[in-house]
Amino acid sequence: MDCPNAAASRGIISVKGLHKSYGGNAVLKGIDLDVKEGEVVSVIGPSGSGKSTLARCLCRLEGIDSGTVSLCGVEISSGSHGNGDIARMVGLIFQQFNLYPHISVRDNITLSPVRILGMSRGEANELASSLLARVGMSDKADARPRQLSGGQQQRVAIARALAMRPAIMLFDEPTSALDPELVGEVLDVMEQLADSGMTMLVITHEMSFAKDVSDRVIFMDDGVIVEQSPPAILFSNPQRARTRQFLQRLLPRPDGGSRTRTGDDIDGL
Amino acid sequence: MGFDFSLVTPRLGFFWAGTLVTIETSALSLLFGSILGVFIGVLRVAPVRPLRSLAACYIYVIRGTPTLTQLFFIYFGLPALGINLTAMASGIIGLSLNSAGYIGEIVRGGIEGVPVGQWEAARVLGLSYPGAMRFIVLPQALRAMLPAIGNEFVTLIKESSLLSTLAIAELTMAGQQVRSVTYASFETFIIVGAIYLLLTTLTSMALRQLEKRWDVL
Repeated sequence: MDCPNAAASRGIISVKGLHKSYGGNAVLKGIDLDVKEGEVVSVIGPSGSGKSTLARCLCRLEGIDSGTVSLCGVEISSGSHGNGDIARMVGLIFQQFNLYPHISVRDNITLSPVRILGMSRGEANELASSLLARVGMSDKADARPRQLSGGQQQRVAIARALAMRPAIMLFDEPTSALDPELVGEVLDVMEQLADSGMTMLVITHEMSFAKDVSDRVIFMDDGVIVEQSPPAILFSNPQRARTRQFLQRLLPRPDGGSRTRTGDDIDGL
Repeated sequence: MGFDFSLVTPRLGFFWAGTLVTIETSALSLLFGSILGVFIGVLRVAPVRPLRSLAACYIYVIRGTPTLTQLFFIYFGLPALGINLTAMASGIIGLSLNSAGYIGEIVRGGIEGVPVGQWEAARVLGLSYPGAMRFIVLPQALRAMLPAIGNEFVTLIKESSLLSTLAIAELTMAGQQVRSVTYASFETFIIVGAIYLLLTTLTSMALRQLEKRWDVL
């Protein structure tokens, strides 16, 4: 969908003072975040830092305790929107794919367009075909999800989310459940999507994606945004000790034999 | 001592008629019981607490009282409230309400067995709670539940023999009629038993076929 109000607001995603806790355990402790239309933002940080919870609050899968979440200039935290309204604005990709196992790949994609957007079956099938082509899965339209590899399932999940024509796509560790050799095919699809101008917020442990594809990298720890900057700066010259610590643990030192594509960026650490 | 089936064979028509009534009452009770059972199971996990409690209460009463008592209550007890039902209607309603309790509990288990990720996916893709239940969760739950439902169907066919106490001419009642005329009790109930076994076996086989065809999860 288009976001007519986004220009007038501070960003297509605008989060102010977001707090969220589970039974007295504070997970998000005051998040402020603005994402511009077409921007690709990667969120990195240790597990338990609140990254996934942030993504889930952004699509209202989790309620929030205080603060506001606005998408496309519309405050979704007010609770006055149906699930269909939210789904038109934002899509979420899960770590575990969560395809519907009892129906075909095509039906996975067309279900919401038919039921929620009121598309005709024929229109929806055409949409599914074009989206499957886009993620390189045209030959699997009639397959059941369990017949696909993890990487294929995740690509179908991306096609399924895109079928609602959301303005924003959230990715919650989209490659963490994949065998290493299947990560690349999913990242390729995400990179294409980024190139097409989609606004994306990507929770990830894939530093290559964070560095090469995103416009901005956010480092979160203990429920707050510790630091954010363009990847070239964040990876080569992190300002905060906690960021430095995290990156050091994550990235091998150049003299220790670099395994990742970011190895040459940490000389300054 | 010898057995003489020749006393019984001229009365095979009784057994046939009784079998048809057993099939009719069982099938109708299965149908109504399954529909009501799915409804009860869905209520049992509803996000609204009073609905949940209501369904839990229903299941509690049905499972905690004998089927025969339930049938007697409907046929002999309800007229006190001005509700007069024929024996056939009482029997089918009784068995339906009874199986709905058991099926409701099976459905609850099936729904709770569907991974929470399915609910979440449905929700972020715009489906409301009822939509997610109808299109995503319940279809998966029903497939997973099929073996348990099959057991309940078999149980129901056997329990339909209780309808003989309401003087419904089903298979067991037919057996009693034949026995009272021929005094060939052994032969009569061997035949009655064999017919029940055939019915339950066919039902199990049919459900196993369905399980295979639906084996997609």
